Amino acid sequence: MPKEKFHGPLERIDAVSWRIPKSYRAGMRVDGIVYASDELIGSIREDQALEQVANVAFLPGIQVASLAMPDIHWGYGFCIGGVCATDPDEGGVISPGGVGYDINCGVRLVRSNLTKRDVEPVQTRLVEELYRQVPTGTGRGGKYRFSPAELRRLMGEGVGFLAGRGLAVESDLEHTEARGRLPGAQPDYVSGRALERGYDQCGTLGSGNHFLEVQFVDSIHDAAAARAMGLAKDMVVVLIHSGSRGLGYQVCDDALKMLRGAPAKYGIELPDRQLVCAPIESLEGRQYIGAMCAAANFAWCNRQLLMWQTRECFETIFGRPWQELGMSLVYDVAHNIAKLEEHAVGSKQKRLWVHRKGATRAFPPNHPETPDAYRAIGQPVIIPGDMGRASWVLVGQEGSMQRTFGTACHGAGRLMSRTAAVKHAQGRRIDRELAARGVIARARSWKGLAEEQPAAYKDVDLVVEVVHQAGLAKKVARLRPIGVIKG
Amino acid sequence: MPFEIFEHTADLGLRVRADDLNTLMADAARGLFSMIVSDLDSVRPSESIPIAVKGEASELLLLDWLSELLYIYEVRRLLLSEFKVQVGPSGLVATAAGEPIDPARHALDHEVKAITYHGLKLEQRDGHWLAEVIVDI
Repeated sequence: MPKEKFHGPLERIDAVSWRIPKSYRAGMRVDGIVYASDELIGSIREDQALEQVANVAFLPGIQVASLAMPDIHWGYGFCIGGVCATDPDEGGVISPGGVGYDINCGVRLVRSNLTKRDVEPVQTRLVEELYRQVPTGTGRGGKYRFSPAELRRLMGEGVGFLAGRGLAVESDLEHTEARGRLPGAQPDYVSGRALERGYDQCGTLGSGNHFLEVQFVDSIHDAAAARAMGLAKDMVVVLIHSGSRGLGYQVCDDALKMLRGAPAKYGIELPDRQLVCAPIESLEGRQYIGAMCAAANFAWCNRQLLMWQTRECFETIFGRPWQELGMSLVYDVAHNIAKLEEHAVGSKQKRLWVHRKGATRAFPPNHPETPDAYRAIGQPVIIPGDMGRASWVLVGQEGSMQRTFGTACHGAGRLMSRTAAVKHAQGRRIDRELAARGVIARARSWKGLAEEQPAAYKDVDLVVEVVHQAGLAKKVARLRPIGVIKG
Repeated sequence: MPFEIFEHTADLGLRVRADDLNTLMADAARGLFSMIVSDLDSVRPSESIPIAVKGEASELLLLDWLSELLYIYEVRRLLLSEFKVQVGPSGLVATAAGEPIDPARHALDHEVKAITYHGLKLEQRDGHWLAEVIVDI
């Protein structure tokens, strides 16, 4: 399946949204709706991402539309940046491809009392300490080991399990989506193979687009929301991007294998095998949901342990306890997950399974699931960009409930394929180029760094502008990187 | 070249051509490990393991075979570089040879998260076999 341009119909709805009408292909149950500006839509047509938006519209029980965020790009099955809500009462399905292999891949933002000026004299030392202490890359385990019995407890209890071991504090739980624990977790549905893969991987970063970045607050766009999150101009923060590691990949793999016969059994016709699914209320559906929630809890524990090791590194470099350095968690949010949520469809309130594949929940102010500290401003939405330019903090807005099942984008989105990015790098030293831009980068793999170079990504400022203009989330702060570690 | 990497926006594609199915499975395995380790020739075939995967000779057998290798790599931290594969009516049996990861000698490029079903292809054309698979990075 080589890269091909999308030739299907794409109708303009307004300045920031486009429709693929359901008449495009027989079998589509709803339209596709893509959020993008004129500047972004050109590159979005270049591969098969839009075809994937149309494919998702085939899923039984899908509500309103198959949605895509402005960071949309070609994935496998679902596009990346895809959102799909299904109704269990209308034969709605759950699809592991709508979550992805990296279940509960997500980001967390940690603040500090340090300013850019405080960090500059130790910038390289700090990044090297992080690179030494935080496991990155493939084929490496971490310092935390969990037996199968411990892993089952960890997956059942979520981040609370780590709090019991002195590896998390109450405010960490309060500032994590769902307090770092989905109650639907069924650790007994997680296979022995997944447990083997998870044994020493909780607290490891992985590779690909995962990263740990030291950044500073470049500009504030909403003073009240920034204040509520404890953010101020020039403040040093840490952004962590990782997921459920090998344990989660195995859970997805196991589910896809279990579901191979499900479409025939339940009479579901699919345009792509990676969209394989089962009715939410079926045995297979319930089994996947239980295992997926368990893997999601593992992912929150992973990011918690990555943050814990980060705090230890800052303690080493600055010689003060992390509490004195003010390194509290701002928020942790998933961007590969399916969750049961309440949404209005027409005049009805419905309980829907919302699949977010490379998309971030963006609940507005006063939503009951937004933590108390952020009830007045809306749920923080953390959008990593690329390692040379910027990342963003936003807060969810009412428009997200009306238009996108409470969702915004999750990143900048890739512009170049991995192979094209390596060609583009042509042996250049990406780490030196970043250093010239004031970013100290350490990575295990030259190729990995080349694939993830800033030019491989869309301009995150343009992507964020679309969700801001569409009223899905509001800009609060722009962050700029000064240090990055990768696999 | 028995295998090549093809373009996919977020991930990597692997295309394999061979005269017979046994060779295709072996070359696909080498293709997979060439994504993980920078130089496959740096992996010494000092340790040999038997592997069996059940299933009909179809694209799903290819997927299950590569997934099995990924699992072995991750749990045993074993890089594999040489493969002898025999495909039969109810699955395949193979011998894979390689060695544990040695950070001093092995530069690692990618963590392959999984072998996907998206665009998965295995077909026989004019007496030759062709396979395509997209892996999640």
